[in-house]
Amino acid sequence: MPTFLHTADWQMGRAFTRFDTEDGAALVEARFEAIEKLAELASEHQCDAVLVAGDVFDAQTVSDRTIRRVFNATKGFAGPWVMLPGNHDAALAESVWTRAQRLGAVPENVHLSLQPGVINLDPQRLSILCAPLTQRHTYGDLTEPFTGYESPEGFLRIGLAHGSVQGLLPDEIDSTNPIAPNRAEASRLDYLALGDWHGTKQIDERTWYSGTPEPERFRNNEAGNALIVEVPEAGATPTVTRIPTGRYQWHQWRETLAVQSDLDQLLERLNALPEFAVVDLRLEGSITLAGEETLLKALSVAEARFRSLRCERSGLQLAPTDEDIAALKADGYVGEVVESLRERQQEGAQDDAARDALAILAGLLREREQEASQ
Amino acid sequence: MKLQRMRIEQLRQFRKPFVLDHLQPGLNLIHGPNESGKSTLVRAIRAAFFERYRSTAVDDLRPWGDSAAAPTVELDFEHENRNWHLTKSFLQRKRCDLTVGTETYSEDDAEEKLAELLGYQYPKRGASKAEHWGIPGLLWVEQGTGQDIEQAIEHAGDHLKSALNSMVGEVASSGGDDLIETVRSQRDTLLTGTGKPRGDYLKLEKDRAQYEAEIQELKERVHKYQEQVDRLGKLAQDYDQAEAERPWEEAQRQLEQARTRYQQVERLEQQQAQEKATFAQLQQNHRLLQQNKEHLEGLSRQLEGRKGELDRAERDLATAQAQTPMIAGRLQEARTAYEQAEKQRKLAGLLQTRERLEQDARRLEQQKQLLTQNLAKAKDYHQQLEQARQQARDNRIDSGAVKKLKATANQLNEETIRSRTIATRLNWQLEASASLTLNNEPLTGQGEQQLLEESTLVIPGVGTLGITPGGEELASTRRKLKTLEDSFAEQLKTLSVTSVEQAEDRLSAFESAGRAQKHAEDLLKSVAPAGIEQLVSEQSEAESGLEKARSQLQATPEPEQKENVPALEEAEAAFVQAGNELDKAESDEREHQSTLSTLKQARDNAKTEWQRLADEEQSPERQQQLQQINTDLANLEKQQAELQASLERREREIREARPDFLKQDIERYQNAVNHLRQAQENRGRELRDIKVRLEAWGAEGLEEQLNEKEAELDQCNRRYQELHRRAQALDLLLTLLTEKRQALTRRLQAPLQKHLNHYLSVLFPEASLEVDEQLRPGKFSRGTELGQITELSFGAREQMGLISRLAYADLLREAGRPTLVILDDTLVHSDSDRLEDMKRILFDAASRHQILLFTCHPEKWQDLGVPPLDIQASKEQGA
Repeated sequence: MPTFLHTADWQMGRAFTRFDTEDGAALVEARFEAIEKLAELASEHQCDAVLVAGDVFDAQTVSDRTIRRVFNATKGFAGPWVMLPGNHDAALAESVWTRAQRLGAVPENVHLSLQPGVINLDPQRLSILCAPLTQRHTYGDLTEPFTGYESPEGFLRIGLAHGSVQGLLPDEIDSTNPIAPNRAEASRLDYLALGDWHGTKQIDERTWYSGTPEPERFRNNEAGNALIVEVPEAGATPTVTRIPTGRYQWHQWRETLAVQSDLDQLLERLNALPEFAVVDLRLEGSITLAGEETLLKALSVAEARFRSLRCERSGLQLAPTDEDIAALKADGYVGEVVESLRERQQEGAQDDAARDALAILAGLLREREQEASQ
Repeated sequence: MKLQRMRIEQLRQFRKPFVLDHLQPGLNLIHGPNESGKSTLVRAIRAAFFERYRSTAVDDLRPWGDSAAAPTVELDFEHENRNWHLTKSFLQRKRCDLTVGTETYSEDDAEEKLAELLGYQYPKRGASKAEHWGIPGLLWVEQGTGQDIEQAIEHAGDHLKSALNSMVGEVASSGGDDLIETVRSQRDTLLTGTGKPRGDYLKLEKDRAQYEAEIQELKERVHKYQEQVDRLGKLAQDYDQAEAERPWEEAQRQLEQARTRYQQVERLEQQQAQEKATFAQLQQNHRLLQQNKEHLEGLSRQLEGRKGELDRAERDLATAQAQTPMIAGRLQEARTAYEQAEKQRKLAGLLQTRERLEQDARRLEQQKQLLTQNLAKAKDYHQQLEQARQQARDNRIDSGAVKKLKATANQLNEETIRSRTIATRLNWQLEASASLTLNNEPLTGQGEQQLLEESTLVIPGVGTLGITPGGEELASTRRKLKTLEDSFAEQLKTLSVTSVEQAEDRLSAFESAGRAQKHAEDLLKSVAPAGIEQLVSEQSEAESGLEKARSQLQATPEPEQKENVPALEEAEAAFVQAGNELDKAESDEREHQSTLSTLKQARDNAKTEWQRLADEEQSPERQQQLQQINTDLANLEKQQAELQASLERREREIREARPDFLKQDIERYQNAVNHLRQAQENRGRELRDIKVRLEAWGAEGLEEQLNEKEAELDQCNRRYQELHRRAQALDLLLTLLTEKRQALTRRLQAPLQKHLNHYLSVLFPEASLEVDEQLRPGKFSRGTELGQITELSFGAREQMGLISRLAYADLLREAGRPTLVILDDTLVHSDSDRLEDMKRILFDAASRHQILLFTCHPEKWQDLGVPPLDIQASKEQGA
């Protein structure tokens, strides 16, 4: 039974901002591992081909090393790969593809679809109808010509395109590179493999977005999968299986703390996350000095455990209780200062300086207490 | 707190127990001389409180040389209506016991209790130092440190503030100042004094700008890269299109056509040029023939001209020949005149010579006669001269000698007269018969003789009388007279005369001969200046000259003609004139001859020319030539007309073909071909260039670099924001802490100021002393004086220090804290007036605090109004 692997949006060459250098490097590394994983899956599922629906590279001018490493990572699957230029790596007069060819980095089993047309994989009896982007943006439907493309008798007709299916995806996706929603049917396709949307998404029974194999943003949209597509014969309905490929899970939490139990809950959830997590926390509300101490300790532990942990606490007011202040032994005018800082936080809009000042003062007093107690 | 009793033992010089009892609640004056143990008592109190009982650093308490000693201090005092008893032993027996009312504390507890009570701290190790003494350090003044108030207040610092808490409320903070310092130092690592970033914070700010610049540059390069990619796409398309259409080939074809047409026109132009050349040749021939014709026709005209010239030459020659006789005649005349003038000149010359010779002869004759006369005279004068000379020779006498002789005669005369006057005069009048013999000379008659010498007068019959003239002068006169007589005789002899008169006569004769000789010489010289011989030779010369002149005259012929002969000069002038005229006439003649020959030559030439032409004009060949030329000319003119027509036709043809436009067309098509090919080549080149460039740029991985840089910027930014927030927070914290602390200080300042003023008004009625933020007395003003307390004199500073301490004591008392004041030999630098004031102040303060005043000058404090306590006496009592 003809089987192939559908993937897209590798975005190779992307660097991760907002992370520490070490974490960013690890995330980049994970994307190369994802390709290796795809090759492994294709072999495992005895796929006839691997179809990559655009944005293999994140930019035209990535380093030579990145180019070579991408193609090296495909070695695990010796069958044909068909790679389609997307909007990030469009087949321009000079492109990452022409450079790859010049470098001699493209293995023989990797087919680059640099012009619109059909790539017939004769041994596999597959006709791949390709709609590569040859400009950065197009405003017409590049899959339109699919209808006119002929394929040999008995070959599966599989469309490979990169863009937005009109009317189905959320508005925020830019409306360039449009694709007609009924393309599969209109062009008599057995399957239409799409790229551009980074989450795994089914459009109709023959049309899918595979999503990126390794998540690279916090937006939770079912990223980190590859699709194994089986088509029993031409015209038959394909069976699509979603296989998770992602290494890291990206979590972005927005929490408001009000009472002690909120903090406890948050820490519990944090503890429950697996190691391969990239976490972005934003905390609001208020916290006692004791609470903050607990939080800081927990974050310190979590930082060491996760790939990356970032916590934005500027929205979290520091509200020392009387016990806090008593514990700090902030007597006399220092006590007055503590009180004044607490008031300033409550009064105006978010007063970062007051919050931080209070934190620093509390820290200093705590240190002094510790010294004294020794 | 009131100290009531104190006991010490085995402590420095107090080896035996010493008790200081009955201490008063107010002022206590404790005195003793130096070395009596006054300072030891103070040290003992300090040790009791400040030194840890188990301290090993208190060796100074040990009595000298007593290693087994256990220095012990016992104190009894009352505080808050409770009795406190403290016993502390050091070194050999380390112990501390405290009883407060009924409670007892020991060891460390006891020490803590004390520290809490008084407000000080113990050293972590070693001996207690000033910085540990806290409030007692301020109130217990050691000898010689009364003026150092600042340090003491600093050390009291926190203790002071917390001690004063009760008074100012719960505002002071334990360790607040340390906190401020910590916050300040942390803030200062991020911000400058004026709030500008520094250190890492500043570096991050700069890094951020650096990253932004780099990112901007990378973005520009990426943009450029994309532009080039687009350009590449466009170019490739244009290139392929051009390669397919090949527009330069069409242009090439048009170029070929234009060239063919232009070549045709060029051929026409060549033909035209050839015919134009032929035409020009014909014109040239025509011109030559015309010239030949004119030449032949011109011969007759020439012949006439030649004839005229010949006639003119003949005429000129005839005219010249006519002049010849006249010129020859003039020459002949000139020659005759010349010969005549020459003859006249010779004649005049002869006459003149003769005349001159005759004159010479006459003159010489006269000269000869004159010379002969002169010679005769000369001989006569010469003879006279000889005679005069002879006479002179005969009478030669020296005039000087004569003069001398005369002088000697006169002198002799005078001397003789003188001798007579002084000589002994001897008169005698003898009878005639009588005679006398004087000096053997007989005397008779009457006479007189002067006797100059010793004389003998013999009177006959009588005898002899000796007469001796008197006087010495007579002897010298006599000697002088004798000398003169001798000289006179000698001179006469020399002059060979007998008398003066004779000598004078001879001199006169000599002189007259001399004059005659001179006269004769003058005469001789007048006729024969060069001598007679010369005269003789001149005479013979004149004679021979005369002879010669006469012979010449005879030799000179006498001319026949003597009349009408002009003077020689005149004749000479006439002769020169005649010569000139002859020269002119001869030159005129020569000139004429040359003119004649020239004219003759001209005439001959003219004649030859004329003859030649005349011959030619008449020849038959000439006639034939002329006819031939006329025929040729007619043929030529016909050819010319035909050529002219052909040229014009072709000219029109060429003009209509517009060769200039054709040329431009060729250029245009050529350019088009070139440009089209060039454009394509350029495209090709640019394509290659862009490809190469893009390959290079692509290899740099610009966008990946950009991504990475953006990540780095993001990190830098995050770190910057962290530091920024931290800086803001620290700044805020520092501001708040400082403000609150200042507010606290201000609250403490007021009461302290009040107490300070209370004492100050006693010391300096008009002065004021301000308390600064650190609760230190600072600015001092008195009348117009204004300054810091540290600028005052030592004495004044000590006084200020003391009143400040008392003011603190007042403040502490109000806060309910113990206030024991100990002054060890203080105010030693105060003058008596000031000391008086200080005593009033101390007395006043003693109504509120217990004051222990140790001194070695009890007499200074007699009027303190309290009984002094003598250590020495107490010691002895104890003993």
